[in-house]
Amino acid sequence: MLAAVAIGTLVAVARTAQGPAVEQATIQNPGYRLRSIWFRGLAVVAVIGFLLSLPAFPYYTRSQLASSQHYPVTALQFAFAMPAVLPIDTPIVLDVTATDVNHGVGIYDPDGRIVAQVQAMPGYTNSLSLMLKKPGQYVVLCLEYCGIAHHLMRAGFEVR
Amino acid sequence: MSNTTAQFVRTAYRDSASDQTAKRIMWLYIGSGLTLVGVMVVVGLGMRMAQGGMHTFQPGLFYSLMTLHGSAMMVGMALCGMGLLWYLFTQEGPLNPTTAIVACALILVGAVLVAISALVGGFGAAWTFLYPLPFVGTYWPSWATGVFLAGIACVVLGWTIWCLQMLGGVLTRYGGLRGAFAWDLVWSPKKFAATGQKPPPPQAFAVLVSAVDGLLAGSAGMLVGVALFARWLNPALPLDPLWVKNLTYIFGHTLANLTIYMPLAAVYVALPRYTHHRHWHTSAVLAVAWWATLAFVAIAYFHHLYMDFAQPRAVQYIGEAASYLAAFPPAVVTVFGGALLVYRSGFRWTLGSMFLYVGMIGWVVGGIGALLDVTVAFNIYFHNTLWVVAHFHTYLLEGALLFVLGWVFYCLEERSGATSSRAVRTLVSLGVFGGGAWLLLGWYLAGAQGVPRRYALQPAPGMEIGWWASLGGIILVVGLIMCGIEAIRLARRPAHREVSAA
Ligand SMILES: [Cu+2]
Repeated sequence: MLAAVAIGTLVAVARTAQGPAVEQATIQNPGYRLRSIWFRGLAVVAVIGFLLSLPAFPYYTRSQLASSQHYPVTALQFAFAMPAVLPIDTPIVLDVTATDVNHGVGIYDPDGRIVAQVQAMPGYTNSLSLMLKKPGQYVVLCLEYCGIAHHLMRAGFEVR
Repeated sequence: MSNTTAQFVRTAYRDSASDQTAKRIMWLYIGSGLTLVGVMVVVGLGMRMAQGGMHTFQPGLFYSLMTLHGSAMMVGMALCGMGLLWYLFTQEGPLNPTTAIVACALILVGAVLVAISALVGGFGAAWTFLYPLPFVGTYWPSWATGVFLAGIACVVLGWTIWCLQMLGGVLTRYGGLRGAFAWDLVWSPKKFAATGQKPPPPQAFAVLVSAVDGLLAGSAGMLVGVALFARWLNPALPLDPLWVKNLTYIFGHTLANLTIYMPLAAVYVALPRYTHHRHWHTSAVLAVAWWATLAFVAIAYFHHLYMDFAQPRAVQYIGEAASYLAAFPPAVVTVFGGALLVYRSGFRWTLGSMFLYVGMIGWVVGGIGALLDVTVAFNIYFHNTLWVVAHFHTYLLEGALLFVLGWVFYCLEERSGATSSRAVRTLVSLGVFGGGAWLLLGWYLAGAQGVPRRYALQPAPGMEIGWWASLGGIILVVGLIMCGIEAIRLARRPAHREVSAA
């Protein structure tokens, strides 16, 4: 939708360009005034957007994660070692790592929508905090290119 | 038709011997760059058609082609921007042609090595060659990894030579960093005006920022290349995967970004020449915008590591903030300035001017797609899905590439004094913009539904969308072929000269 507005504006400007020409000096000052309004407006939107996005950052400290139940997830070419069942409506943490190369853990709910993802990197543990709200069969796909069978690398677990 | 071209022939035609050499070097870069891009468009379409189920690639071949497509596209687009900036700078100050030829030759040798590695050796670790992937669980022989790394080293070396040459040229011509950055214009404008000096033209900022950020990217690339090369020679060498990943993306992200910023210079120079006596000059705002670009392009790469929770937390916040801030210079200065320049300007629509203008639209649309992706809250859903593929193809295909094509047609139109007919313009628009938008839409739609990127075979609804998107891709290729034919037609016309007006 934003894209449509942007395209529309630029196309509208383009359409004025074929009429009679106006001297650059005539449009320069109103143009610069408009630019400073545009700049300020954009700055306000950017600051608000940034602040609104902060609570959604998925990074937690060890102590914040301490109260949740932890489950290990290990990615390797081309499979995931992880629990077959995870509890519903419970704060859980997946401790994700990899043994060979970089992989990604992309979690898709029973409707096929991504609900969370995290990278799996050898030598590091990425702790993904989750609350799974829909019961049923979830799918895990690898979301970091990892070799010839990358597209076949998947797992599943049940939430109940 | 003839009177519409007279004005820019008069303002721009130059014919000295050194200008002829500079032009030849520009065409060496842009010609080889566009050749690479053209071949890779076809390879890309072949991959998309395979994803759409129109034919089959074995996964090994698919991923080798994917690696080649990514690497060669980066190289091809970079070459176009490099040639363009190199030529534009020779209008300002001298540059040694031999150095430029050496840099270009090194990069082309690198491209050949990458092609050998991927096509003969079957190397397929993606153009990001994310450690430890090039070494562990591979389906290609070890020599292919070595040749690929050697190829990347040649590219980085050629790139670094070019950056050094451009930086040297800019610093010499405009009086050091202070002059090149237009420091005095920004901080003491009255004093600066009193000296009677002129600030560098807008395109000089593109040169400066590309060279400085390019050296940063090149150094990171060299460092990671050497580390991986050492690991290739001695498999027992331990490397930290997170450290390598950071370096890889400083290199990859910055270089990819610069390939978009470099051809912007074509907009600064050529767009005004299609207007009625309008000019794009350097203001303090423009200078500050490029300072911001210099800083934010260099640190925005952190957004590639949002999903690495082991990364220090602070840089995740910096990554989002820098990515937002990087959007300001294009939105407030360049695209806004471009629109203002065109607004009621008596603009002449030719193939060249159309490409330049639509390139700005593509840049904005790709930028909006990127802004969603660099917001951590959305990155959780978009990271490594086809959404990412959608936004950078928008940037590159309907932004950077159009700027380059705009420049090419501007040069051809200027030289021949002829433009393309309305029918050709309409057909090219339908093919390049229509087919392109159709192709891109497929990635946006699939990405919004979480279809992963870099999949030889995609889960539903990837294949159905891929099939439809391929049709757009075919139309796009037809449009690009028409462009090529039209370019040859214009190039074969005799050079046009307005002696009396010069
Ligand atoms: Cu994997």
